[in-house]
Amino acid sequence: MRNLLVRLAGHLVRALVMIWVVATFTFFLIRLMPGDPVAAQYEKLVQQGMSPDAARNATRLTYGFLPTGSGWDQYVHYLWRLLHFDFGRSTQTLGVNASAEVLTGAKWTIGLVLAGILISFALGTVLGVIAAIRRSSGVGDALTITGSLFHAIPQFVMALVLITVFTVIWPVFPTDGNVDILVDPGFNGPYVASLVSHASLPALAYALSMFGSYLLTMRSSVISVLGDDFVLAAELRGLTRTMRLRYIARNALLPLFTIFALTIGFMFGGAVFIEKAFNYPGMGITLINSIGHRDYSTMNATFLLITAAVIVANIVADLLYTAIDPRVRRGGEAVA
Amino acid sequence: MTAATQATTSTAAAAPPAVTIRDLTIVYRTPAGELPAVSGVDLDLPPGTITGLVGESGSGKSTLALSLLGAVQRPGRIAAGSIHVDGLGNLVELSAKSLQEARGGEIGYVFQAAQNSLNPLKTVGKQLLDLGRSHGVRDRTALVRSAKELLAGMGLDAARVLDSYQHELSGGMRQRVGIMFALVLNAHVLVLDEPTTALDMISQANVLKIVRAVHTERGLTTLLVTHDIGVVAEVAERIAVMYGGVVVEQGETADVLRAPKHPYARALINAIPRVSGDLSAARPLPGRPPTLGTIPTRGCVFRERCAVYAERQLPACVAEQPPLAPVADGSGRLVACHAVAVEDQQATGETA
Amino acid sequence: MVTAVEIPTGNTPALTPARRGFWRNLWRVLRRKPTRVAGAVIVALFVVMGVVGPFLYPANLPTDPGNAYAGPSGSHLLGTDFQGTDVLALLVTGSRYVLVAAVIAAACTVVVGTGIGLYAGYRRGGPDSVLMRITDFIITIPGLPLLLVLSTLWKYSNPLTMGLVLGVTGWGSVARAVRSQTLSLRERGFIEAARGLGLSTAHVVRKELLPNVAPYVAMNLLISVTVYIYLEVGLFFLGVLPFNENNWGVMISQAVQNGVTQTGQGLAYLLSPLVAILLLTLGIVLLVDAMDEVFNPRLRED
Repeated sequence: MRNLLVRLAGHLVRALVMIWVVATFTFFLIRLMPGDPVAAQYEKLVQQGMSPDAARNATRLTYGFLPTGSGWDQYVHYLWRLLHFDFGRSTQTLGVNASAEVLTGAKWTIGLVLAGILISFALGTVLGVIAAIRRSSGVGDALTITGSLFHAIPQFVMALVLITVFTVIWPVFPTDGNVDILVDPGFNGPYVASLVSHASLPALAYALSMFGSYLLTMRSSVISVLGDDFVLAAELRGLTRTMRLRYIARNALLPLFTIFALTIGFMFGGAVFIEKAFNYPGMGITLINSIGHRDYSTMNATFLLITAAVIVANIVADLLYTAIDPRVRRGGEAVA
Repeated sequence: MTAATQATTSTAAAAPPAVTIRDLTIVYRTPAGELPAVSGVDLDLPPGTITGLVGESGSGKSTLALSLLGAVQRPGRIAAGSIHVDGLGNLVELSAKSLQEARGGEIGYVFQAAQNSLNPLKTVGKQLLDLGRSHGVRDRTALVRSAKELLAGMGLDAARVLDSYQHELSGGMRQRVGIMFALVLNAHVLVLDEPTTALDMISQANVLKIVRAVHTERGLTTLLVTHDIGVVAEVAERIAVMYGGVVVEQGETADVLRAPKHPYARALINAIPRVSGDLSAARPLPGRPPTLGTIPTRGCVFRERCAVYAERQLPACVAEQPPLAPVADGSGRLVACHAVAVEDQQATGETA
Repeated sequence: MVTAVEIPTGNTPALTPARRGFWRNLWRVLRRKPTRVAGAVIVALFVVMGVVGPFLYPANLPTDPGNAYAGPSGSHLLGTDFQGTDVLALLVTGSRYVLVAAVIAAACTVVVGTGIGLYAGYRRGGPDSVLMRITDFIITIPGLPLLLVLSTLWKYSNPLTMGLVLGVTGWGSVARAVRSQTLSLRERGFIEAARGLGLSTAHVVRKELLPNVAPYVAMNLLISVTVYIYLEVGLFFLGVLPFNENNWGVMISQAVQNGVTQTGQGLAYLLSPLVAILLLTLGIVLLVDAMDEVFNPRLRED
C-alpha cells in the first residue's frame, strides 16, 4: 500500500511537470506564430470598427492574456488562468468558452476510444492466447499473420476502407456524424439505435487497427510464460487444465499493461483520423477545425486535454500493473 | 502427522507402494527423426526406500523422473514400456483425468530449488487452495492445517509462509514449500528432481535431513534425481546410475560406492575428490556426455569414453548395448557391461 | 578435446554478424521464403518509383474535365481524378514527397535516438535519468496532435521540413530501446572487460556497442519508415495542411473532399493511394521479418 502511494505521488509530480512544459510550449508557439495571432486578432477587431480599448479587452478575453505588456506578465497571467481551467474563448463559435467546446467533443471521443479499447483488448488477448497455444499449427500461423497485417494498417486507411465497404458498396451503416438529427434526443429506442449505428463503424475502425498489437504481444508473452518453470510445476502438482490456463493468462497479461499505456496515446492520436474520416464530432474534429479556423484558444485547450488524458491513462495503467504484480506491490526481500 | 493424513481424501494403506519400471523407452521428436532419451530402462523402486538416480546432464534422468508422473513434455513421448505403481496401475495406460489426479495426489514431485516452481502472482496459501480445488478436497481448513503442520515440521513460520509470495522466500524456504506441496495431499511416491542444486551447503544439509525425515515418518517410496553422488551417498539406500538414456548400474548405495563395477560408474565415483587424501587421485572423466543427437545408436552407449573398451576392444561392445544383468557375486547388483559379464563368466568358470 | 570440465562458451554475444557477411546473409535469408523476396522487390519498386517516377511526367499533369472520375481503362490504368487527371501519374509523381520525407524522418530518428540511447545507457546515473525523463516526455505526448499544432507554425511545404519535424518528435522509442540494449550489454560485462583492457571510450562505443546495437536500430529504422508514412499521409488526409506539390495524402484528402466516399464515384481514385500505402507497408514488414532472422540467428528454423 505504501509503495502504491509513493508511486502515485511520483506520477502526479511528473504529470504536473509534463503538463506545465506542454502548456509553456503552446504559449510560446502561439506567441511566436508568424503574425502573432493575438496581435492579429486585435488588429482584425479594430479593422471591423471596434474601438482600440474594446478590441484590447476582447482580445484579452479570447486568448487569456493581453495583446500588449511584458512577456513575463503575459505568461504568468496565462498559467494562472489555466489553473482555473480557463483557456479563453472560442473564435469559431463566438461567446463559447474553449473549455466547453472541447468537453463537448471529449465525451464522444472517450466513448469511442473506450469501446475500441475494450473490443480490441478482448479480441487481441483471446486470439493471442490461441495463437500461442496453437503456434505450431496453421491456425496459429494464420492468426499471427492476421495480427501483423492489421497491426500495420494505418487507422485512416482502415477507416476509409470500412467506409467504402459498408457505406458505399454495401450501405448498411450511416457514414456521417454521431447521431441522426431527425431523431428525438433522449433515452428512447430510435435515438439509442441511431447512436449505436453511428458509433459502430468508428469503433470497429479503432478495434481493428488496435487488436493486432495486443494479439502479437499476448502471443509472445504467453509463449514466454509457457516456458516458465511454474507452469510445469503446476502440471506436476495436478492442477486442472482450467486452473493452469488461468495461471498462464494472468502472468501473460502483465506485459500487456505496458503496451496498453502506449496504445492509449496512439488511440487518442488516432481519434483525429477516425473522427475526420467518419465526421464524428469528437475532440479530434475539434482540434482539426480549430486549426483550420486558427482558433488558438480551442486548439490549445484540445491539445492540453488530449495530452492530459494520455498522461492520466498512463498513470492508471501503471497503477493497475502495480496492483496486479506483487513483486512491485510488495517489494522487500525474504521473510526471516 | 496423523492429522495431516486425515485431512486428505486419500485412504491409501500405510504400506508404501512399490514402483516398477519395465523396458521404458522415451523418444523426442527432432528434425532428425525420433531420438530416444531413455531406452529400454528397467528400474525398481522397492517400497519404503530412497533410490538415488545419478547421471550427467543429458543422461535422461530428468525425463525418466517426469515419466513417473506421466508428464513427459512434448515433443517427447513414451514409445514403449510400462511404469507400474501400486494402487494406481500402469501409468502409461492411465487416462488424462486419472493422471491429473495422481499428480500431486498419490505422487508428489519436488522441483530444483533454483527453479521458480510457484506462480509469482499468488501467495503460497492461495496456491495451496488451488491445489485443493483441483484435487476435489472438500475440507479446506484441514488442508491448510496439514500444510501448516508440514511447514512447521520443516522449521518454518507456517502462517507467514502461507501469506508470502515466491519472491519473498529464500531458496531453502522455497524448497521446503515445494516439499509441502508435494506431500500435503498425502502422496506416497515422492520424486525429487535435483532438490539441492543451487542451494548453499547448510541449506543442502537441511533439505536432505528433511527429505530423510518425511520419508520415514510418512512411509514413502522416494526417487531422488541428482548429478551429485554425495547427495545420494547421504540419503539413498539404493542407487541407479544412468548414462546416455540407459541404466548402467543399479544396487545398494554402499556396495556401489565402495566397488563400482561399470566403467562409467567407476569413472564417475573416481572423479570425486576425497576430503582426505591426494587431490590428484581424483581422476576426471575424459570426453563429453552425449546429447540426444550423439548417443551411439549401435553398441554400448558408453563405448567412446570407456577406458575398458579402449584397452580391450571387445567386439560385443561395438555390436550391441549390453543388457542390465545381475552380477555373479550374489549381491543383487545389476550392471550393463560386456566386460563385466565376461569377467563373471571367467570367474565362475575358474571356480567350477 | 579431452577435458573433464566444459568451459562455458556462452559469454560471447550471439549477435555481431560479421559486417562483410551481412549482405550475403541477408540474401541467403531472403531466399528462404518467397514472401521475403516479394517484400524486397516491392520496396525496391517503390524506391525506383520515387527516384525515377517524377521525371516520366510533365511538371503540370494534364487535366480533362470531361473525363473526371473515370474507372480504370486502357488509357488510364487506375482511372482519373476529379479533374480527369490520370491517377497512376498522380500516384507516381506523388510518391517522391512521401518517400523522401519518411526516409529523412527515419534517419533523424536513428541518429538522435541511437545517440541519446547509447549515451544514456553508457553513462548511466545522472545524465541517464535526465535523458530518460525527456524520452518519456517525447513518448507520452500524443504525436499526431502535436504535429497538427506544429502545423500552425511549420508549413511542411517540402519533404525536408516534414521529415525533420517527424523525426524530431518521433525518436523516443528508439532511444529507449537502444538504452536498454546498451544497459544489458553492460550487464553482460564485456564492456567492462574492454575498458579493463585499457581501450578508449570511443573505441568501446564504436567497436563494441554500436555493432551490437545496430541490428535493433536497423529494424527500428524500417519500422519507423512505415509509421512516418502513415503520419505524413495522414496529416495531408486531414486537409488542414497547405500543399504546393502533389502527394498520396493530398490525393486521399481530395478524393474524400470531392465526395468519393459518399457517391462511390471514382473509387479507384480513392483506393489507389490507400493500396500503395498498404503494399509498401507489406513490403517493409516482410523485409523486417528477414532482417529479424539475419540478426537473431537463434530464431532460424532448422
